Amino acid sequence: MQRTTHSDFALRNCLAGWVLLGILSAGAGAAELHVPATVEAGQSFSIPAEGSGQATLYFLGPDHVVKRSVTLGGDLAIQSGDVRAAGRYRAILCDSSSCTSAAFQVEAAKPAHLSFFLRPSRVPVSTPQSIDATAFVFDQYFNLVLTPAVVNFRITPESGAGFSRQGSTQKGVAWMRLDSTPHEGRVQVTAVLGNVEEARVIQQVAAEACGLRMKAVPNGNAVTLETDPVRDCSGNALPDGTVVSFTKVDREGKSTVDTPIKKGVARAQFSLHGPAQIGVACGVVLGNEVALNGKL
Amino acid sequence: MTSIAHLEVAFKKFSPQFLKVAGFAVAVCALASAQSLPQVHLDAAGLAPRPIEELTGTTIARHYAMAWRDLAEALESGRARVLGDEFTGIAKDRLARRIGEQNHAGLRARIVDHGHQLKAVFYSTDGSAMQLIDQADLEIQIYDGNKLIDTQNAPQQYMVLMTPGADRWYVRDLEEVSAKAF
Repeated sequence: MQRTTHSDFALRNCLAGWVLLGILSAGAGAAELHVPATVEAGQSFSIPAEGSGQATLYFLGPDHVVKRSVTLGGDLAIQSGDVRAAGRYRAILCDSSSCTSAAFQVEAAKPAHLSFFLRPSRVPVSTPQSIDATAFVFDQYFNLVLTPAVVNFRITPESGAGFSRQGSTQKGVAWMRLDSTPHEGRVQVTAVLGNVEEARVIQQVAAEACGLRMKAVPNGNAVTLETDPVRDCSGNALPDGTVVSFTKVDREGKSTVDTPIKKGVARAQFSLHGPAQIGVACGVVLGNEVALNGKL
Repeated sequence: MTSIAHLEVAFKKFSPQFLKVAGFAVAVCALASAQSLPQVHLDAAGLAPRPIEELTGTTIARHYAMAWRDLAEALESGRARVLGDEFTGIAKDRLARRIGEQNHAGLRARIVDHGHQLKAVFYSTDGSAMQLIDQADLEIQIYDGNKLIDTQNAPQQYMVLMTPGADRWYVRDLEEVSAKAF
């Protein structure tokens, strides 16, 4: 005859209790949801749903909400259009008695768009670190692509040799400072990532005047002043409209004429009252001085 | 929203005078909307390639807090139009779509906002865009009608892109990212 000790009896009761609890839990709980940890944006997939009978599936994402009746015991199909926006998604499955949920991450697909900013729109020639290029990398659904990628910035000046620089994205953004080239004119900067290209154009303009000189032609009680063609240190002509200032000091005092460059040179005329000193300036650059009734 | 408004801006190089001004601005803001704005703490130390201006930091923290207040209200009430003041671009479009579909399904979401640790990571040299990472402490409850069907209560991380408008900074992109993303 088999003897049952107190400890055996207690153990059996305990096991029976756990089994009963398990059965009750399985009957009352909603089916398990086994979602992938990550999904690429725009990729369809399925979620296996255990159990049997009918349930309601809720699917919540950054820009999309689905509620539909499903039959348990099979796969729950998630369409590509349900997961276009990157971010955290929540799948919730509810039967008549309870709900269960699971979360998964949708990550950006491969790069398909570059949002490219180039500043400023006009920049002086031969100026170091004067052009800012910033590129945001997005996939075809305009999710920021956080996977590091290399963006090539291709610089194509109107004249002279082009060059390129590379920058890696950090958290979806690549940025770089570039030097302006020595010649004025249009410069195209193209951001390139794989087969995605985005081009912007800026205008390079002459820098400050360099070697500014004028000559004076006396004419009775007046003098006509004319600069040599006004150029920057790279030989680019300063644009017409750039203001040149002529300043005269004579017996009557000091007078200044501001005049725009026309066809590359600036001209002015002064009346004279005795010996005079005349100077010329353009922006922050001083040119030569002329002494009339004296030495040049 | 149950959180108490409190805005903080932490910068390494703030002058004492600025701290007084910022403290005042924060206090005014907190008083003005004590029952509605969530906590936002902005850390802009080491921001590149452009350092942040003092006023910009205060403005960004305030408007980011207002954006979350509006988002929580919109998700709970189902009224997408309240998003217009603080969201723009793809963030606004996506949230509006989400709220529309949520309404259609008879769902609503309730956010209990316990605050945001905002870290500025990129500020473009021309000042036209700022990228931030938000460590948010949120409890999100999903209701089908009046029945609570799900509760999430875990730290969340968001990638945020903000751009300036005429008188404020707008949230242009708001993506929840995995903690392993960086």
